[in-house]
Amino acid sequence: MSVAFVFAMSALMVAPLVAWALERAGALLALAGCVLLAVVGIDAALAGARPVLKLGTWLGFGSSDLRATGLAGLFLALTGLTGGATALAHAGSPAGRGQISLGAALLLCATVVIGADNGFLLLIAWEGLTVCVYLIANGDRRREELLAGYLTGGLAKLGGAALLAALGILYAHTHSFSLAAWAHADLSPGVRGVLSVLFLACFATKVGVLPLQGGLPSGYGAARRLGAAWLSVALCAGFYGLVRFEVQVLAPLPAWCGDMLLILGALTALAGIVYALTEDDLRRFLGYSTVEHSGIVLIGLGVAILGQSFRSTLLAAAGLLAATLHIGAHGLAKTLALITIDGVERASGERTIDPLGGLSRLSPAGALAGGVASLTLAAIPPLGGFVSEWFTFQALLQSFRMPSLLSQLLSALAGVALALTAGLGLLAFARFYSFTFLGPRRGRLGDLAPGARRSLGALLLAFVLLLLGAAAPWEIHLLGTGLQGVLGINLAATTISHPLVLTPVFTGFAVLDPTWLSVTLLTLCALAFAVARATRGRGLGASAVRREPVWVTGSGAELAAVQYRPSAYSNPMRVILRGPLGYRAMISPQPGGPAGDLRLETRVVLAVDRFLYRPAAASVRWAADRARAIQNGRLSAYLLYILAALLAAISLIPILR
Amino acid sequence: MTGVATVARRVSEGLPEHLGAVPEPGPDPEVRLRVTTLGFERAAHVLRRAGARLITMLLAEAPEPSLMAAFALRGALVVLRAPTDGADPVTYGALSQTWPAARWAEQELVERFGVRPVGFSPGRSLTAADADLIERSVHGLDVFAIPYGPVRSGVFEAIQFQVQTGGESVLSLQTRLGFKHRGLERRFAGLPPERAVHVAERVAGIASVAYASAFSQAVERALGIEPTLDAQRWRVLYAELERMAAHLDVIAKEAETAALHVGQARFQILKERVTRLRARLTGSRFARGVIVPGGVRLQGGIGLDELLRSLDALEGDLAADRRLFVGTASMTDRLVGAGRLSRALVEEYCAVGPVARGSGVATDARHERPYGDYRRLGLQVVTERAGDAMARIEVRFGELFESLRILRQCVDHLRGHEGELATPLPRDGTGAAFGWAEAPQGELVIWVQVRDGLVDRVHVASPSLRNWALFDHAFPADVLTDFAFIEHSFGLTPSGADR
Amino acid sequence: MLRWIARGLSGGRVTTRYPRGGEPVPDGFRGRVDVLDAVGAEAELESVCPTGAISVGSSGGVSLDRGRCILCGECVRAAPGRFAFQARYETATRTRAGLIVPERDGDGDPPRRALGEAAAALRRSIHVRHIDCGSDGCEEWEIQALWNPYYDIQRLGFFLTAYPRHADVLLVTGGVTRPMRRPLERTWQVMPEPKALVAVGTDACSGGLAGESELVAGGVDRVLPVDVYVPGSPPSPIAIMHGLLLAVGLLAAGARAT
Repeated sequence: MSVAFVFAMSALMVAPLVAWALERAGALLALAGCVLLAVVGIDAALAGARPVLKLGTWLGFGSSDLRATGLAGLFLALTGLTGGATALAHAGSPAGRGQISLGAALLLCATVVIGADNGFLLLIAWEGLTVCVYLIANGDRRREELLAGYLTGGLAKLGGAALLAALGILYAHTHSFSLAAWAHADLSPGVRGVLSVLFLACFATKVGVLPLQGGLPSGYGAARRLGAAWLSVALCAGFYGLVRFEVQVLAPLPAWCGDMLLILGALTALAGIVYALTEDDLRRFLGYSTVEHSGIVLIGLGVAILGQSFRSTLLAAAGLLAATLHIGAHGLAKTLALITIDGVERASGERTIDPLGGLSRLSPAGALAGGVASLTLAAIPPLGGFVSEWFTFQALLQSFRMPSLLSQLLSALAGVALALTAGLGLLAFARFYSFTFLGPRRGRLGDLAPGARRSLGALLLAFVLLLLGAAAPWEIHLLGTGLQGVLGINLAATTISHPLVLTPVFTGFAVLDPTWLSVTLLTLCALAFAVARATRGRGLGASAVRREPVWVTGSGAELAAVQYRPSAYSNPMRVILRGPLGYRAMISPQPGGPAGDLRLETRVVLAVDRFLYRPAAASVRWAADRARAIQNGRLSAYLLYILAALLAAISLIPILR
Repeated sequence: MTGVATVARRVSEGLPEHLGAVPEPGPDPEVRLRVTTLGFERAAHVLRRAGARLITMLLAEAPEPSLMAAFALRGALVVLRAPTDGADPVTYGALSQTWPAARWAEQELVERFGVRPVGFSPGRSLTAADADLIERSVHGLDVFAIPYGPVRSGVFEAIQFQVQTGGESVLSLQTRLGFKHRGLERRFAGLPPERAVHVAERVAGIASVAYASAFSQAVERALGIEPTLDAQRWRVLYAELERMAAHLDVIAKEAETAALHVGQARFQILKERVTRLRARLTGSRFARGVIVPGGVRLQGGIGLDELLRSLDALEGDLAADRRLFVGTASMTDRLVGAGRLSRALVEEYCAVGPVARGSGVATDARHERPYGDYRRLGLQVVTERAGDAMARIEVRFGELFESLRILRQCVDHLRGHEGELATPLPRDGTGAAFGWAEAPQGELVIWVQVRDGLVDRVHVASPSLRNWALFDHAFPADVLTDFAFIEHSFGLTPSGADR
Repeated sequence: MLRWIARGLSGGRVTTRYPRGGEPVPDGFRGRVDVLDAVGAEAELESVCPTGAISVGSSGGVSLDRGRCILCGECVRAAPGRFAFQARYETATRTRAGLIVPERDGDGDPPRRALGEAAAALRRSIHVRHIDCGSDGCEEWEIQALWNPYYDIQRLGFFLTAYPRHADVLLVTGGVTRPMRRPLERTWQVMPEPKALVAVGTDACSGGLAGESELVAGGVDRVLPVDVYVPGSPPSPIAIMHGLLLAVGLLAAGARAT
């Protein structure tokens, strides 16, 4: 296994360079690395070999290794699966060598983040990840996309600063950069709390937690072609960081950290899906959907932290299981959705949902893949998204085991928010899928690229996702052994009761049977189909099948002209939520049209944008303007700066002594 | 008689000089003024400033081909006539540039007769209806158009509404008429008046009595005869029964739209009782074939006492049902505030009937230019101020009780009378006049030309056509689900508008 | 809401028992015109009728086309010995020839009870769709009256539907105007088999007073095949009910007259 690990890491290191020269080769190399990585990860999680790649002390600050522990193995497997699918999609339809190189580099950085056991190595890899993300999110040279890139990069820098501060504090307390040393350190609850906030701030910028979620929608929207899929691969690193630091390294955290995560998670989930409903751009929509799902993961992590602070291992296991299941299902589904969207853009040239429609006739495979991804993200049984959301609900329902009233209350509120997001999520994904793939063709899509190459990566991922729900017991088995290092128990023992029946870690509370559900649903469908075939032609007055056009109240108008537009479909929700959304509809005379024609414009102002990002951007610009005064180009000023720096450095020596 | 003549004389004093017109003889209370086609527009605007209400515009042929417009001004019917001297096409200054009420009348003149008003911008076709056409006048990512009709969901007449909506609110509404144009106005030509009244009844079947009554009056005025008092009373009786049936139908439809099923059933029962009364009185459920030019033709029969008993029972049930209807919050919530029409808008479009009376404009043909027995009956015009659908329904409730009161008066007057009911028409009479009646939908005006005892030309100014023009503006702040309530509260009929 | 329920129950039963029992017709009700004396008439009799329903043969034989008769009563007044009104509700027939009186050989309309049983055979679920192709508004009131408590056609299993794809019977009113021709054809096309078409009203049977011109087609059978004709101006709700039962009898028998 260590050989495989070495091969995987070297393949990933070489892939960016190869991709710069030969696109396809680089993509295939990255694919090979990912496959090996996935194998290594799954093996590590199954309590097999735990390979270690020693990197020596060349980085300084202690020895640094790449370690595939149980937890790291899980996330390495996820990275390998999603990254491999994206690389395969790249190989199938090349998107420019810049893209693939950046993607491979991103894979490398993410893997190092996950495997690092030295804080400094982690920081370097994290910054590398930030650079890759920033470059991918830069897209074309248009102004909005450049601004989106700046936002993504700026927030990521903020996260990096928080990470640096956290590492500094940890070093100050333990004088070591080793993660294992930090896990065993003796820190006061106040310090743990501060550290937890700092780490949350860092990883929040990557996974998109309120109020630092801006990088996600704008980054996804600005990235070209498969860039958004690569960005969603980077999520694995962010989630890993959250689990590793909040649940393992800093355990046990004070209860208020868990409460804070619950609140943040609920708000993030709600805000994410509500804003997603207002988006017409397909990628930005999926970016907001990622924000929503990150909120749900955060809720699970909140319960886990509360369990640890109340010294209830089973409760922590329940929360952590829910969170990791959701990370897995969401990661796979989101990557699949983004790969499918790339296919849609290649076929139609459109990035917004309005002109699309009826694409299932053009690419049935893409429609199938998109359908599986949408069903998973909308938490429809018996797929994986439903299983993970069920576990999250069950974890929240264990709140009666929590001794603190505040935690119980917040769990209840988080449960309510979760239910609301589930409903809104269904609405959002129904809109997303139906208006893109189903129904009549709405726009002037005459020049569709026929026979767009079926993406093998998408189909493979779709296959995996389809079985994710039915294979839940095996997945939980894998998670149980993988998380044993974090929790100290194997939660699979109590979660999987009779073969293939799942309980939320606490036995006797509730039961879920996704495997049998899948089998039953399939059998019933097949049965209905067989009955229909058998009785065909023997019904009442056996008549031939006639196809007639859709009824439009007797008018012969074209159906596409009189149907709901996608934007109008989500209008009722926008009107209901017009307060939080700042929704306004304005009717004005149509410029340049015949007299009497009107124009309807709707506008949504995001609260986070208005109250946080714009003032922050304004103050940064103000500070930059002031700081520009330093660059006045006069030699005397620069000599003064050198003198001041020397004096500062000299004065530091006695302090450090 | 004399009262009306003085009114007409008062109105006509001074008018000719203001308008630069020449007065012509005409039956009271018509005030006929002759102008030129050049001065037509100016005369119309002077009348508008004097507070006149435009009724209709038409091309007439008596005594010579001319362009005519009829206005209602303070109890008189002012008729502007501009001889066209056989010019083809007829041109004059368009009225609809500044007067929205003239829009559809001029559109019809343009489409059916090839008239060319100067400065007229053609709008939607009123005669060549196209069910497949989708016109978008509101642009935006959210907006789409729904063609509601001509085959609507339920048992309704054929009419199409093009609604442009952003998903909930109605951004723009276009009423498309013309799906039921049967050309009935041409069908009148060459028939003797007693046979032509059958055509009049079938223009808008649910207002058969009003149409027959207006047509008969026009013929009687043109030929200078007057039906007997008893005949006039019978006409009022049939007319009020018809008004009751129509108003009960509107209220039952509102209850049905709000899914108030018992209320709907109750009002349908009341309407069926009125209809069966009519069937027993006249042999026809819609009182057809009883009103003829010259009088009435009495058919079928129930005793007047039995009629009175039925009316009393009806009034008791109606009062109880009305109390329940108005007291059901889930019903009135849908009506209050829906389809608000301001008084200014109603006056600008010269709307008539319960639509106008619901916004505070007290226009009622029975009151402004009393005809038949209404000259002797004390009529109270029911108005409301709010202008929304609830106000229009309240107007109808008030008129229902007013109709019952009038019916009782008629039955009292008819009791014990066995007078003549039909006055013979002169054999080869010639003349042309307007006749009017207050149909349940509003004021109906018919122009009839009789030549040598045969009907020559007929023009129908139906209240439905004039009020449909206002319908497009009745949705200032409403959503799609209020559409049915507002439409039923207007209570108009497409067959009368399309003819 | 309770007060509404109490009010509804207070009225008692008003529903007719038709077709199990008869529905009493008021005296003097003009249901249809009968030919009393069909021989020896002059040709001027034809000009009495405004729609041209009366035709006098070369030998003086009189025939009246009920499909054109608008019940105006001109013929009854002009020749009371030959024509008279009949106080009767049912007027429907299955063929256009059946509307011409005196009948040649009996059309053999099935008796009332048999019709009720035929309706029951379709398990009380017949969906009716209505389309207006240029009527004067009366027929719509009479069709709407079928679902009021007096006639309550729902007890026979008839339901009104807004969607032609769910409809079994299409009720057409009005001689077909030009703009309504394509919508009528579309509505009929979209209805699934087995289906039946009922022409309600004299306008639908023959164009009525509007007749046949470039504006009006002159009856539904110029556009689509009609299964049942229900003449009348307008036909009363019982007549329409009778016509619907005839149509349903056809559906149950699985045969449609072309």
